[in-house]
Amino acid sequence: MDNAPVSCLPTNQRMSKAKKVIDEAREIQNPELDLCDKGIASFDEMPGLFNMLNITRLTLTHNKLKSVPPGLANLSNLEILNLFNNSLEELPTSLSSLPKLRILNLGMNRLFSLPRGFGAFPALEVLDLTYNNLDENSLPGNFYMLETLRALYLGDNDFEYLQPEIKQLKNLQILVLRDNDLIELPKEIGELTRLRELHVQANRLTLLPPEIGNLDFSGDKSELKLHLNEWVTPIQDQLQTGIPRLMDYIRSETYRYLYNRQVALKNPPPPKIDKTKKISRVKA
Amino acid sequence: MPGVNNMSLSNMSCSRCGEGFEPHEKIVNSTGDLWHTQCFVCAQCFRPFPDGTFYEFEGRKYCEHDFHVLFAPCCGKCGDFVIGRVIKAMNSNWHPNCFRCESCNKELAELGFVRHNGQALCHECRAFARASGDRKYSCYKCHGIIDDKPLRFRGEVYHPYHFNCTACGVELNSDAREVKSRPGYTANDLNELYCLRCHDKMGVPICGACRRPIEERVVTALGKNWHVEHFVCAKCEKPFYGHRHYEKRGLAYCETHYHQLFGNLCFVCNQVISGDVFTAMNKAWCVHHFACSICDQKMNQKTKFYELDLKPVCKKCHDKLPQELKRRLRKSAELAPKSATVA
Repeated sequence: MDNAPVSCLPTNQRMSKAKKVIDEAREIQNPELDLCDKGIASFDEMPGLFNMLNITRLTLTHNKLKSVPPGLANLSNLEILNLFNNSLEELPTSLSSLPKLRILNLGMNRLFSLPRGFGAFPALEVLDLTYNNLDENSLPGNFYMLETLRALYLGDNDFEYLQPEIKQLKNLQILVLRDNDLIELPKEIGELTRLRELHVQANRLTLLPPEIGNLDFSGDKSELKLHLNEWVTPIQDQLQTGIPRLMDYIRSETYRYLYNRQVALKNPPPPKIDKTKKISRVKA
Repeated sequence: MPGVNNMSLSNMSCSRCGEGFEPHEKIVNSTGDLWHTQCFVCAQCFRPFPDGTFYEFEGRKYCEHDFHVLFAPCCGKCGDFVIGRVIKAMNSNWHPNCFRCESCNKELAELGFVRHNGQALCHECRAFARASGDRKYSCYKCHGIIDDKPLRFRGEVYHPYHFNCTACGVELNSDAREVKSRPGYTANDLNELYCLRCHDKMGVPICGACRRPIEERVVTALGKNWHVEHFVCAKCEKPFYGHRHYEKRGLAYCETHYHQLFGNLCFVCNQVISGDVFTAMNKAWCVHHFACSICDQKMNQKTKFYELDLKPVCKKCHDKLPQELKRRLRKSAELAPKSATVA
């Protein structure tokens, strides 16, 4: 807090910048508020924001916000909330009461956990938590109640496991777990029948559950990213020949036999990946 | 005759030659007119009337033979003259006992008749013919029964072999096509017949669905021609009737089913995209929602963008990503199988 007085003047300038945008939007009744890269460090710099009940989109990308006040939940018409690239370490519980929120982008922050009751969003469709410090223990108990979710972005986090409850997200079409610490995938992933994008590249995976063979990644709008893992040799070999061949192999009896034998061996998981360079690790 | 006696001979003249009569000459009197015996003859053959029987037509007298030849109706069945009651039916004349049901041979003069496929039938036989599903046609030209497929032409049915192709002259079969010279007009007096070969060469569009020629409105789509009512959604099979259709892999779909099947829902608003569509990275956006996934700034087809987890990122936002992340992403893209999307 030493630098607070020093930044007094520029903060005032920035404050007027954000205030100008807000005043303009209020004047023309613009329901979409762009406050991208305005150097905003606190919601205090945006007086009157929580009274603008008409706004449907609030974009606060590339700012310096450390926290979100509970009052944000006043904006009951909000459909899109974008807080990408801020310094958020925690979120208010009230956030999940936003009745119309469909898209929530919390990517590139410093979140180590999500608040209690986070899974209560009634209409959330796209949740982006890319590049935070989350793992399976930082998700609240009701997280998998987000039945309306169609895309979940968890890339660049610290998940080692994915809970079997993932199967409750039955509308999920996109699941991104790129660059985590995943050691295995739950067999319940095979119940996500609408899944058409699965990104699990750059993890510590060695085996795929045979149940993943229930899913169809053959459509031209499908994507299965598996590279940069410690796959057992047969999977690695099939992967070189392409996803369709790999999926055929996963569905075969041969693979089921191999899978069961490998699981029984209880091999130690591959080593963790060094993530000390991640900026989300930096404590303010 | 008293009248004759009362008249003076000098006042009388022959109805035919106009000359007077000699005293005591034999005079023929018929319904008040007088003739010399040699003048009272058939107007056609100039011979006396056998047995004095004559027939009158338009003031002239004819012997029975010539009257029949010239004026009397002939029976449609036996060809003889019809004397006495004439039955006029089926465009012909008949002796009452010659006009019979063509099926059961019953006399029809008193019973009445019904026309059925060009035949006169009694009511019972007609009802039977209908009930037994006898759908054979009789030729409008020769009135014979058509055993094989009939040829339809200008609203009637014919034996195909009565006609030749308008173009090449070959004798026609039932594959021949009637071509309306003025499409859309119901008056078919100008219709002409062509053999199938010539017909196909005439450039009449063929429907891509039913393979039949299109004589009314033509829909051109998917590189083919279609009957308006045959150009339908590949999923629900309802005709488009001029409504917008969507093409995919050589098939056409209605808006609802196109989006249902191919998922052209906007990634942001999750609504069916009507109007222009941006497609990239396995996703679609409506014009209003195609924006950078990080800063929400709108983009258009000219905007340069990068890919992050198969989402679009504008250059400004991509530049702001941490160096260590960009390094990892670059390395990952290099090591990805070549089928994967490259940023």
